[in-house]
Amino acid sequence: MNVIEIKNLTKMYGKARGIEDVSFSVEEGEIFGFIGPNGAGKSTTIRTLLSLIYPTSGSATIFGKDIITAAPEIKKEIGYLPSEVFYYDNMKVMDLLKYSASFYKKDCTKRIRELADIMELDLTKKIDDLSLGNKKKVGIVQGLLHEPKLIILDEPTSGLDPLMQQKFFDLLEKENKKGATILFSSHILSEVQRLCDRVAIIKDGRIVTVEKISTLKENTYKKFKIETNSTIEKDLFKLDGVNQLEQDGSTISFLFRGNINAIMRKIAEIEIANLWIEEPNLEEIFMHYYEKEE
Amino acid sequence: MNIFKREMKANRKSLIIWSIGVIFMVASGMGKYSSLEGAGGQSMNALMADMPKSLQAIMGTGSLDLSTPIGYYGVLFLYLAVMAAIHAAMLGSNIISKEERDKTIEFLLVKPISRTRMMTSKLVAALVNIVIFNLVTFASSVGLVQKFADGEEVIGDISMLMGGMFILQLIFLVIGTAIAAFFKNAKKATSLATGILLFLFIISIAIDMNEKLDGLKYFTPFKYFDAKLMLKEGGFEPLYLGLSAIVFVGLTIVTYTFYRKRDMNI
Repeated sequence: MNVIEIKNLTKMYGKARGIEDVSFSVEEGEIFGFIGPNGAGKSTTIRTLLSLIYPTSGSATIFGKDIITAAPEIKKEIGYLPSEVFYYDNMKVMDLLKYSASFYKKDCTKRIRELADIMELDLTKKIDDLSLGNKKKVGIVQGLLHEPKLIILDEPTSGLDPLMQQKFFDLLEKENKKGATILFSSHILSEVQRLCDRVAIIKDGRIVTVEKISTLKENTYKKFKIETNSTIEKDLFKLDGVNQLEQDGSTISFLFRGNINAIMRKIAEIEIANLWIEEPNLEEIFMHYYEKEE
Repeated sequence: MNIFKREMKANRKSLIIWSIGVIFMVASGMGKYSSLEGAGGQSMNALMADMPKSLQAIMGTGSLDLSTPIGYYGVLFLYLAVMAAIHAAMLGSNIISKEERDKTIEFLLVKPISRTRMMTSKLVAALVNIVIFNLVTFASSVGLVQKFADGEEVIGDISMLMGGMFILQLIFLVIGTAIAAFFKNAKKATSLATGILLFLFIISIAIDMNEKLDGLKYFTPFKYFDAKLMLKEGGFEPLYLGLSAIVFVGLTIVTYTFYRKRDMNI
């Protein structure tokens, strides 16, 4: 079942582009990454899903219900962490969390304490006095306290130190194991790579591709670097799927996409001193997608 | 219920300050009456009558009998009404626009409530606030006017004036909410609401100064509940009551419709 289904969603701000013709769906129980550089339309998409802004055309459903007409009902089961958290400054942390909990028809006090414990959040402080990172923690607790079935995170790690990021990711993985679906927007690829099953890449308001992280890596090239004992003819590696073939003294390097056995046989024919085969990281794949579009 | 409670708490301090302000206004205004009474009220009436009409208009006296406590209070009422209107307009625009200004709207609207329900909770909270403001004005007015009235019945007249002031408060409350609901720029909503109020007030003064402008009286709510008229007629003019109802209902509809349909500014 699809928890989120977006169909041809377009949002224009007057004549300025927000997002154009965005379509993808998020399946139940998965951690879905939503990546793209700043200003690509990640927040616009998320805010449209939450009906903070309304689409110019297209539609979307969450839990099978329309995001506009069924908005209040849908939101019972959504936890949202915005990229920048803003709260009522003169409130105490606990008061704010209780206020937040009061919108859901269940008792969340125990859960608030649990989450605050994990995130090491002081509940007695005033929101006003909190640092950026601590405000973010309030946001995390606030977004998870009602045990939502769908968690939407918009660049959630900014402001958190690495230790807290780790705790936060563990928390998310636990929620995911309990059955929560997660939509995770970010421009930091390593965190998406770590956490997500599938990703949608967005650029200039349009979806470039939606892919499993594993496929994304499979379908791309591998980096080969071969060091030989004697100088060899580099044309030996002129095969289908080989790119950027370079020779520097006794080392040959190239990119390869295709059946790896063909390359391995070629390598077996020659005397080698050393061999490196590297997976490109997501960063490089990502750049590849971006450059291709330009 | 939770938004209502939250708003009551958030506006408590400002309501207390406004209440103290209005009590002070009534007290200092009626305090001047005691010195006037000593000097002989009739001479004051004569003095006012000799003044140019424009000056009378600015002072808000007109046909009011300054020698009686209630007549004198009628002059003061104009300023109480302006104060109540400013309070209502600022409250109305602020209670809606602050969520966008402080960017807390992203917190609030992600909760399982519709924008309509959120608006209703806020309007009810604002309504309770202006009722309290009205009651404080009423109580302090009755207390202080009665002191000078020598057993004369004033509660009836003051109740009527406060009734008029309440309708005025309602109108300016929805002027405030309608502006905040219509315009995306949250920071400008309150200044725009008070600007409109000031403009309407100046029109009402201008009408008093110049008879040629009499036709404009239907366009400014300050003219709907003029103390001179209410005290003379002993009640509200049905036409003005009707106009007030139309403005109130119209702007309430504007508030809900535009707020439900527009993009939040975040």
